[in-house]
Amino acid sequence: MQSDFNIEISSNDSVPIVRIWGEVDIHNCPQLNRVLSDALKENDRSLVINLEGVDYIDSTGLGTIAHAAKILAATQGIVQLVCTKPQIKKIFEISGLSQKNVNLVSSEAAALGVTQ
Amino acid sequence: MIINGTPEIKDNVIIVNLPATSEYVSVARLSISGIASRLNFTVEDIEDIKIAVSEACTNAVQHAYENHAKTGRIEVKISTDEEKLEISVRDFGSGFNIGILGTEEQKKRSEEKLGLGLGLTFIKNLMDEVEIQTIPNEGTCIRMIKLRPLQHHISAIQLQKNQPLD
Repeated sequence: MQSDFNIEISSNDSVPIVRIWGEVDIHNCPQLNRVLSDALKENDRSLVINLEGVDYIDSTGLGTIAHAAKILAATQGIVQLVCTKPQIKKIFEISGLSQKNVNLVSSEAAALGVTQ
Repeated sequence: MIINGTPEIKDNVIIVNLPATSEYVSVARLSISGIASRLNFTVEDIEDIKIAVSEACTNAVQHAYENHAKTGRIEVKISTDEEKLEISVRDFGSGFNIGILGTEEQKKRSEEKLGLGLGLTFIKNLMDEVEIQTIPNEGTCIRMIKLRPLQHHISAIQLQKNQPLD
């Protein structure tokens, strides 16, 4: 079964940026978890996750992001989540995840502005 | 009754039977969003329904068949009438102790699987009615209902579309 999920990691001034496209669900969460773990090895204080290209995310995707946030919380680090789509924002609101050390921002520039 | 050229679906039941493995959850999602989009649901409602069905299937994949995951199946039964869309997501697995929901033990078990333990919370938040039945060694069924947009709303929209103000 094919899916349109895609993930890429880069960095800006030592802050890892993880960009995700397509649908995030139980099937591709292990891959997402590996990429986020790699990102945390590079920098344990801040991480930018860009969900602008994500059409769908469910509780397993949020759980994977929450797991990374929990690791970052141990070093007072935060996750900057670039998220503009209303349906994705709604999911974050229901989950309560945005109240922890996960900060929802509207662009990568805004995310990097806060973390720099 | 014809709405936007689409025949009204009456007493129609659709059953999608899937392997209980992660790669097929997206198939359940695609099926239900296709059906919901033909029933005049709003884009937001369709998103809600997609997530709810997907979460129910994810639960079945994660929990129902721990010892025989590869042979397990999920049955998604979809029926509609004029008022509602009703979906039952059933597995034939181990069932679970319903008393565990909302407890620390559930939270701990979910975290072990990188989950948030929020699947059912999402379903309850996004659908109009939700009912869970679970029987040890027989399986679990999550039945959920989303009410359809009111017919008179559709008629009003239809009227506006057909009679442009010129």
